Amino acid sequence: MRLDNNFYNLSDEITEYKLDKFTGEQDFILDNSYFIHDSSIHLFDLYSKGPEDAAAIKIKALYIGNINTINTDTVLMYCHGNKWHMDFYWQRAKLLAHAGGKLNYGVLMIDYRGYGLSDGEPTENGLYADVDAALAWLKLKGLTKERLILYGFSMGSAPTCELTSKPRSLAPTKIILEAPFASAEVMANDGSGLNMPASFFTNLKIDNAEEIKTIMQPLCWIHGTNDKFLGIKTHGEVVYKNHKGIYKEAHGIEGADHGEIPKKMGFQTYLKTLTEFIRRD
Amino acid sequence: MPNRFNLFIKKNTFKRLQLSVRAKSRTLYLHLDYARCDKKNSVLITVLIILFFQNCAPSRFVKPLAKNENAVSANLGGPLIKFGNATIPIPFTSINYGRGITDKTTAFGSIHTTALLFGNIQTDIGICQSIYKNDSLKFGFSINPAMNLAFDKWEKNFRAWPQLDINAYKNILKDKAFVYIGLTNWFELSSQRAHQEPQTQRVLINPHLGLTYNTKKWSYSIETKFLQMNRNNTPNVVDYVGINQKGAVGIYLNFARKF
Repeated sequence: MRLDNNFYNLSDEITEYKLDKFTGEQDFILDNSYFIHDSSIHLFDLYSKGPEDAAAIKIKALYIGNINTINTDTVLMYCHGNKWHMDFYWQRAKLLAHAGGKLNYGVLMIDYRGYGLSDGEPTENGLYADVDAALAWLKLKGLTKERLILYGFSMGSAPTCELTSKPRSLAPTKIILEAPFASAEVMANDGSGLNMPASFFTNLKIDNAEEIKTIMQPLCWIHGTNDKFLGIKTHGEVVYKNHKGIYKEAHGIEGADHGEIPKKMGFQTYLKTLTEFIRRD
Repeated sequence: MPNRFNLFIKKNTFKRLQLSVRAKSRTLYLHLDYARCDKKNSVLITVLIILFFQNCAPSRFVKPLAKNENAVSANLGGPLIKFGNATIPIPFTSINYGRGITDKTTAFGSIHTTALLFGNIQTDIGICQSIYKNDSLKFGFSINPAMNLAFDKWEKNFRAWPQLDINAYKNILKDKAFVYIGLTNWFELSSQRAHQEPQTQRVLINPHLGLTYNTKKWSYSIETKFLQMNRNNTPNVVDYVGINQKGAVGIYLNFARKF
């Protein structure tokens, strides 16, 4: 018995993506000023084949923006957390599509295998393969690394760090980590209060705290000071401290819990912070 | 959701857990009803299991066995957690064997059966040493120095944690039972935790209170612990029953056969 599968929270099953019409639990709901017309929302399939896959797995992707201008646009690849599906994260993706102004940057989000309407079952290698499939699609559409920003929220920090540290199809020019976790080891240490190895419980190898040491791209780290899920001290600060790249900035959001950062920060402040980081030379 | 952790989880919906423990002719049934599992519970359970893995057993021996006397016991219990709308104990299990070396010293060893399910070999080996006994007042003190050893088959990681239990007991019910109070203390030998970060807390203190009832061949114990009383229970993905945001309360049952 291992706890690997418990890492993935798939408890809300859906039959279709509802986006703005989704009425389930969400971290926040944006007002109408953040509305995005259907013509700028593209839901499509991607095929992902990881090292353990006999055949490619169909996953769902969502692009906000104009697909025809990806060859000149800057694009945020949003890697969502371990919970549910893209409907749950739709408000977050929509908010990102307002960084620097409405539809100023393209935003791509996927449901990892096993999530939402994507086929397959979630695995650690699957996470990386699926995000890489999305990056390969962007590359095919003309995106170059100078215009790619990788954004990882919570569990999404794992593919962000992995694919920046060991790039496959496309390496980002900058990364943003919101409430990242440090590693499975830290999870085991925090839980037990002892120097207990993660291998006692899980075969997951996710290790952002070590991978970040090899990442030279600029880092924007945002973490709630009241994160009850992934503590800022043992998770976020370790990742931030271990980044040895050319530039990094930290934003501790006072009183914010794990899913509360954009709301506690204020949507406009959040967008301004991200935009300044993205535009920074 | 295919879930290998189906000991506790079936499609993340908890309707009823019926847990039976048979002790000779006696059967204890614990019926626990759950509301629909909270959405974060799959991750929550992961951490809960980790959190109290090292506190998955009650006190091994409070009073030493008589010289050459043997005892085999089965332990069940763990910390109370909030799960959905219910409060439940995590049912950790272990099996323990002890033998009286002298009338004042009992050696013991155990195997943690829950840990085995995870592919880990975990044992605690130690002695129970009587350090003071007053027959007229029917009370005494004992200490249990022990070593916890754990090894996983996956990456061959090995860990050792010393443990020292201190107990005071008082006979009641014409010596058919005794109550006890004490401290279970775990010690972390490493000064560092993951990623070379400092290990700030080297001693984990768990006060406990228990009752043991003896028949000629059997002993039945119930014990409650205040697990990790010196640790804040946040931040963590833990939703358990602690005191003043510290630690968690645990409940344990022990069934021992003496021969």
